[in-house]
Amino acid sequence: MGNSSAFWLGLAVAVAVLAALPALFGLYAAEVGAVFLAYALLGMSLAFIWGYCGILSFGQVAFFGVAGYAFGIIAINATTLTGLTLALLASIAVSTAFAAALGYFMFYGGVRDVYVTILTLVVALVLYTFMGQTAGGEWSVGDARLGGFNGMSGVPDLAVGIGSTGVEIGLLGHYYVTLGALVVTYLGLRALVNSQFGYAMIATREDEDRTAMFGYDTTFIKLVVFTIGGAIAGLGGVLFTTQNNYVDPSVFGITAAALPVVWASVGGRTSLIGTVGAALAIQFVDYRLALSGSEWALVVIGSLLVFVVLVMPEGIAPRLHEYVLESREDADSSPVPPDPPAAAEEVSD
Amino acid sequence: MATSDPTVRTAPAVDETGADSSRILQTRGLRKEFGGLTATDDVDFALEAGELRCLIGPNGAGKSTFLNLLTGQLEPTDGEIYYDGADITGLASHERVDRGISMKFQVPSVYEGLTVAQNLRIPLQQVVGPDAFDARTHEILERFGLLDQWETVAGALSHGQQQRLEIGMAMATEPKLMLLDEPVAGLSVEETADIAELLREIAGDDGVALIVIEHDIDFVETIADRVTVLDGGSIFREGSIEEIKADPEVKRIYLGGDH
Amino acid sequence: MTGAGLLNFGFEFVEIFAFIVLATVGLAVIFGMMGIINLAHGEFILVGAYATTFTFAAGLPLPLAMLTGVVLTAVYGLVLERLIVRHLYGRLLDSMVVTWGISLVMIQLTRIVFGNTAPGIGIPFGQLPIVDGPVYYLVLAAVAVGVLGGLYALFMWTEFGIRARATMQDEATARSMGVDTDRMYMSTFAVGSGLAGLAGALYAPVMTVTPEYGTGFLVEAFVAVVVGGASVLVGTVLASGLLGTVNAAVTNVAGTFMGQVAMLIAAIVAIRLMPDGITGVLADWRENRGESQ
Repeated sequence: MGNSSAFWLGLAVAVAVLAALPALFGLYAAEVGAVFLAYALLGMSLAFIWGYCGILSFGQVAFFGVAGYAFGIIAINATTLTGLTLALLASIAVSTAFAAALGYFMFYGGVRDVYVTILTLVVALVLYTFMGQTAGGEWSVGDARLGGFNGMSGVPDLAVGIGSTGVEIGLLGHYYVTLGALVVTYLGLRALVNSQFGYAMIATREDEDRTAMFGYDTTFIKLVVFTIGGAIAGLGGVLFTTQNNYVDPSVFGITAAALPVVWASVGGRTSLIGTVGAALAIQFVDYRLALSGSEWALVVIGSLLVFVVLVMPEGIAPRLHEYVLESREDADSSPVPPDPPAAAEEVSD
Repeated sequence: MATSDPTVRTAPAVDETGADSSRILQTRGLRKEFGGLTATDDVDFALEAGELRCLIGPNGAGKSTFLNLLTGQLEPTDGEIYYDGADITGLASHERVDRGISMKFQVPSVYEGLTVAQNLRIPLQQVVGPDAFDARTHEILERFGLLDQWETVAGALSHGQQQRLEIGMAMATEPKLMLLDEPVAGLSVEETADIAELLREIAGDDGVALIVIEHDIDFVETIADRVTVLDGGSIFREGSIEEIKADPEVKRIYLGGDH
Repeated sequence: MTGAGLLNFGFEFVEIFAFIVLATVGLAVIFGMMGIINLAHGEFILVGAYATTFTFAAGLPLPLAMLTGVVLTAVYGLVLERLIVRHLYGRLLDSMVVTWGISLVMIQLTRIVFGNTAPGIGIPFGQLPIVDGPVYYLVLAAVAVGVLGGLYALFMWTEFGIRARATMQDEATARSMGVDTDRMYMSTFAVGSGLAGLAGALYAPVMTVTPEYGTGFLVEAFVAVVVGGASVLVGTVLASGLLGTVNAAVTNVAGTFMGQVAMLIAAIVAIRLMPDGITGVLADWRENRGESQ
C-alpha cells in the first residue's frame, strides 16, 4: 500500500521469507505452501476486478477450475515436453477466452451490479453440477477421465520446452514457479492500476454513467478487466492442479466460490497485498486447524467474515493503512507526502 | 444507454429551412416515450455554435429527458440528432463525448473518494498526455477558483466548489457543446454570480455552445442568448429572455396547466 | 408421450414445483421486503429440520414436531435479525457476504454439536400407484399451495399485510404514514425464517438430515428468488413454474444432475433477459399498457 521505501522494504522481506520457506520448513511445507500461493493468485484476481473496478464475481473459481481441468485433459493426453508446454498455454488461453465470453454475455447484455454477482455464482454452480456427474467411463477426453466427484487424477507436473529441450518442474521448482508467478503478477497488476487504465477502472467503479460521459467506453473497460481476472485465476488454477496432480468439482462448489470473496473482504478488496495476505493467512489457519483435528476452522473463518464486514467493511489492510498514515501525520507535521495522497490509497496499490 | 452504431451518416438536408453551417446541434422529430408517457414530443431543436441557450419549463416538462437524449443516456423512440454536421442518433455516450459533447449532471457527480487533481485527471487523460496533466490541471483549477484545493478530497469540498469542479471537469474534455443540468442549484447569490460569469466566458471566449437547464429566472436573464421553453415534452416558445418574460402564456404554464 | 409417461412427468413436475416453492417463499419474503439475500437461508431450513427430527424422536407427533420446527426457526431468525441482519438492510452485496459467513458458522456448529447425522423420520402415507412415488409428495404440493394461499390472504386481507405491502412499495412514504418500519422488518424476517423452518420440517422425512441439509435447498431458492424478482407471490410462483418445468423435463430425459444443470442454465438465460426478474417484466408490461401511474 503506497510507494514509500518502507513499503518496498517490507515487501522485499516478505518475498525473501517466502522464498526461504522450503529451506526453513522443509519440502512438505513447500508442497502445502504452493497450494496457498495458487489460492493467493485466485484471490488477487478477485481483488483486481472487485476492488478496482467494482465487479464482484463469485465465479473466479470457474476460471480457476476450467484452467485446471483443461490442463489435465491436454497434459494427460500429450505428455511430451511440447505437449505439456502447449497444455500450459492452452489452459490459460481457455480460461481467458471463457472469461471474455462470459464478460461479453453479461456486460454487453446490460447485466448490472448484483446480478453480475449472482450470474457468476450460478455459472460456478453449473460447472459444479455438470462436472459432478462425469463419473462414468464415457466421460473422458482421450486418456483423460473426468471422474465425476472423484475428480481427475494423474495430472502431470508442469514442464516447459519443445521437442527434447526444456525443463520439468519438480516439487521444489514448482514452489518457486508459483511464488514467482504471484510476485510477477502482483507487480504487473500494480503497474496497471497506477496507469491511465487504472484510473479508468476506478472511475468506472465509482460512477459508471459519469465516467462514460467523459468519453470512456465503460462496457469495454469492464470486459477487459473481467478477462484479465479470468486469465489470472486460470494461471492460479493450472498451478494448483499441477501441485496436487489432481482436480475435482469441489473447486466449483459454493464454499470454494465464496472463499475468494472471504479473502478479499477480510484482507481488503482495494488492496492486492491485503487480499494475498488474507488468503495465505486464512488458508494456513484452516489447514492447521484441520490438521489438529479441530472442527472449528469454518467457524473461525465465518465469524471473521461477519466481524470484518460489520466492523471494518473496507477490510483489514486498508484500515491498517489508515492507522499508519494517521500516526505518520501526527509524527511529522509536513503537509503533503510526495506520492499519491492518502485519500486515494486505492490508486497506489 | 444507446448501443454504438458504427455507421454515422453525414447529415442529409439538415437545414431544410435554409443553409446554416454554424449550427452545432439540431434535432428532428425527437421523441421519447416511457410506456404510456410521452416525455419528449416531436422536438425540433437547433443551436448555433457558441450560443448560450437556456432551457426552462415547469417540472415534468421533459428538460432533463431532452438532455439525456442528447448525451445518449436515453435512446429516442423516434427522431434524429445531428451534431456538428453528423447524425449521432445511434452513437453511444462515450462516442458522443469523443466528438465534443460534455455534460454537467443535475446532482453533483464528482468522484468523491479522489482528490481534486485526480478528479481532473479522469477527463484530462482522454485529451492530453501525462506530461501535460499538471499544467492543464493548474490552468483549470485557477480558472475555476480551486487552485488551493489541489490535494483536497472531492467529497470534502463545499457544494459550490463541487459544482465548479464538475464544470471544470466537463470543460477538460475540450467540448464544443456542453450541457448543464441546474448548475446553480443550492448555491449562494455570490456563487451563482461566479458561475454566471464563468458560463458567459465559456460561451463567449471559448466558443463553446451551452444548453443550461435552470429555474432561477434572474440567472437565466444574466446569461442567456436565447431561451427555449418546454412544456409537456414539446417546445412551447423560443426567443430572447425579454420576449419570454413578457409572454403571458409562459406565465400561465408555470402557474396553472395540467401536469 | 404415453399416458403413464405423461403422469410421470406431471408427478415429477408437481414434486419439483412444490419443492422450489417451499424452499423459496421464506427467502422471497425477506428479499421482497428488505432487499437483501440471506445466504444462510439453507441453514434456517436446517434449524427447522433438526428441531423437527429431535422433537419427533423425543416422542412428539409429527405435525407437532414440525410446528415446533417452524416456531423455533422463527425465534432463531428474530434473534439473528436483531443482532446482525438489521445492520445490512439496503446493502445487498454485504448481506450476501455476511449471511454466507453466518452459514459457514452454523453448518460447522451443527456438526460439532450434533455430529454428522440426525435421527431419521420415515415418509408417512405410503406409495402411489402408476407413478410409484410417495403420497407424501402430493401432501407437500398441497401444503405449498396452502402456503401461497395463506401468504396471499396475509398480504391482501390483514392489516399487517397491507402495511407490509406499503413498506415494500415505498419505505419512506410508509414510514411517514406511521408504519413502524423497524418492527415491520423484524416481523417480516421472523415470518421468512418461519417459512424456511417449515421447508426444513416438511422435507425432514424425505431427505437425510445432516449438517449439509440446507445446501440442497439453497441453490433452488436462490435462483428462484432472483428469477422471480421483487414480487413475493407472483415472482415465486412463476419462477418456480418456469424453473420447475425445465428441471422436470430434463430430469425425465437425462437424470437429476442434468435436470439441475438445465435449470441453472435456464436461470442464467432468464437473468440475462430479465434483469429485474419476472416481476420486472410484468411491471414493464403493465406500464406499457398504460395501466400504471
